[in-house]
Amino acid sequence: MPAHSFRLLSLGIGIVKLLRSSDWLIVPGVLLLAFFFVAPTVEIALSSIFDEGLTGKHFERFATKGAYVEVFRRTLVRSVWIGILCVLIGYPIAYFIVHRSLRTQVFLMLLILVPLWTSILIRTYAWMVVLGREGIVNNALIWLGLIDKPLRMMFTTGAVYVAMIQILLPIAVIACYSAMTEIDRTLPRAAKVLGASPWKAFRHVFLPLSLEGALTSFVIVFMLSMGFFITPALVGGRKDAMLANVIAHNVEQLNWGFASALALLLLVATIIVIVVVRLLANRFVGVRSVGMAP
Amino acid sequence: MRFKSTVLSGAIALGLAASPALAEKKIVVSGSGGGLAKVMTAIYDKPFTKATGIEIRRVASTNRVSLLAGMEKTGRVLWDVTELSGPEFPLSVAKGFVRALDWNLIDPDNRLPAIARDKYGVVAASFSTILAVRTDKLPKGKKMKSWADFWDVKTFPGPRALRNRPVENLEFALLADGVPTADLYKVLATKAGQDRAFKKLDQIKKHVVVWWKTGAQPIQLLSDGEVYYTSAFNGRVTKLAKSGTPAEIVWNGGALALAYYAIPKGAKNIKEAHAYLSALALDADRAAAFVKIVPYPGFAPGLYGKIPASMGKVLPTHPDNVKVQFKLNVGFWVKNTEALQERWDAWLLK
Repeated sequence: MPAHSFRLLSLGIGIVKLLRSSDWLIVPGVLLLAFFFVAPTVEIALSSIFDEGLTGKHFERFATKGAYVEVFRRTLVRSVWIGILCVLIGYPIAYFIVHRSLRTQVFLMLLILVPLWTSILIRTYAWMVVLGREGIVNNALIWLGLIDKPLRMMFTTGAVYVAMIQILLPIAVIACYSAMTEIDRTLPRAAKVLGASPWKAFRHVFLPLSLEGALTSFVIVFMLSMGFFITPALVGGRKDAMLANVIAHNVEQLNWGFASALALLLLVATIIVIVVVRLLANRFVGVRSVGMAP
Repeated sequence: MRFKSTVLSGAIALGLAASPALAEKKIVVSGSGGGLAKVMTAIYDKPFTKATGIEIRRVASTNRVSLLAGMEKTGRVLWDVTELSGPEFPLSVAKGFVRALDWNLIDPDNRLPAIARDKYGVVAASFSTILAVRTDKLPKGKKMKSWADFWDVKTFPGPRALRNRPVENLEFALLADGVPTADLYKVLATKAGQDRAFKKLDQIKKHVVVWWKTGAQPIQLLSDGEVYYTSAFNGRVTKLAKSGTPAEIVWNGGALALAYYAIPKGAKNIKEAHAYLSALALDADRAAAFVKIVPYPGFAPGLYGKIPASMGKVLPTHPDNVKVQFKLNVGFWVKNTEALQERWDAWLLK
């Protein structure tokens, strides 16, 4: 048999093997990502450095002009804080839910999910109704006689935090909850049987086992915050613009090369933070595979 | 071959049938689509065809400068008349895409005011960015009358809003700083003048709680009492006032933006296009019918005699209002937007 027939045969066998195993199931997903994620990302990366020839002018503009570095720093810090706050609020909620009966759990998770199904834009507008000068909170406080002039709550950094946390909290709860449901519930009980106080059982058994979920929920909330756009634009003040707002603005102004450069910086910064969180988690808490838990 | 010849003779027959229609003149008018196109067809185009026999085919268009560039390149000029709004007009003029008009054909008796006549275009519509005031939030017995008052946070305390862009705002700042309307763009063309505008804006910055982006925003802010004083588009403020919110327009210092109709270079039906422009600019009856639906009028002479005074006084081209506003110099902004926008963005984030 000539050599090329051999090759053909082995290729044929390879394909048959692939189709017989379940590995081929990944092909549609890979193709989808290749076309609609990898290719556009590469194009964005390229258009940030090619603008009528190879150029560093977009990154130079970022570093030297305007207030871009400051906006970038602010976006990063705010996203980290929102990630932390969402976990601090979401973890106890998930803990509470996971310790109810199964039927109650389903009902409570439904309550968590409903706001998630509502559009971000509508939830943001709802905050405008609540926090406005003539909004629900101000009117209530004035009616109660606690204040005589409306407080300024809209168009402040505080409003951005409140609205973003409310919008992202369900996601934090879900991530924590799904990790907690996988914990073998006999383990904390065993700890208590062996004489550990409830706090000790939590601290040494439940918490380490659920930490992976908490870190995953931080990573997801952080990632989503980094790209937040509508909420800061609608409830924030002039200093509350996040990098995504600056990107949108530059797209409108047809500065696509610069917008690409900003997008690339946002992506790289997000990846760096996630990697750092994983490394720190491995090092200090012995948690593996952060960001890979369900 | 049978089939082919049948098709051929069919085509010839069709051509013969269509030829009487071809004898009549037809012009292609490009402009906004949607509801506005319907209004234009009903009020301007149909009566025009009836009076002159010139048929009008109206096409909806956007990105008109690039379309004109394409027509120039291919030598196939599809439009006889086109609307050009905002930066489209000065850009098309600068690139030589539109032809100089024969004003003797459009306005032989010289009835239009100078502001409505351009060498390359006829003003067909206008809107103003004006100072809008929640009158119920004014201090007792006080009335806001100018941008200087807008800047005066001691006499007129309360939250304010402005549009998030340098265009208009630098002008407003200079007006507030005492620059006369006639000198606005002379001052603004210099570095010192631009510094002066930004310095003036520094004073008001922290009292401006929202820097709006879309025309609906300032109206919503006024209606919710979120701000008391803001820049806004005139038509929307009139609507807001009609809906019951005590809102008022301060025309003094308003930025009057003009939309033009022009004839592309290389258009085929020049005479008919001029006739159409003439009808568009001069006919007061049609203009009156138009502004009853769309509050963005042109300068048709006699228009304000044909509509109620209460309606006329809230329109941007009312003689009293034209007198106190400045004409937005779009040509200046086409040249300077990029640099000033970057400075504006940085200024805002600081």
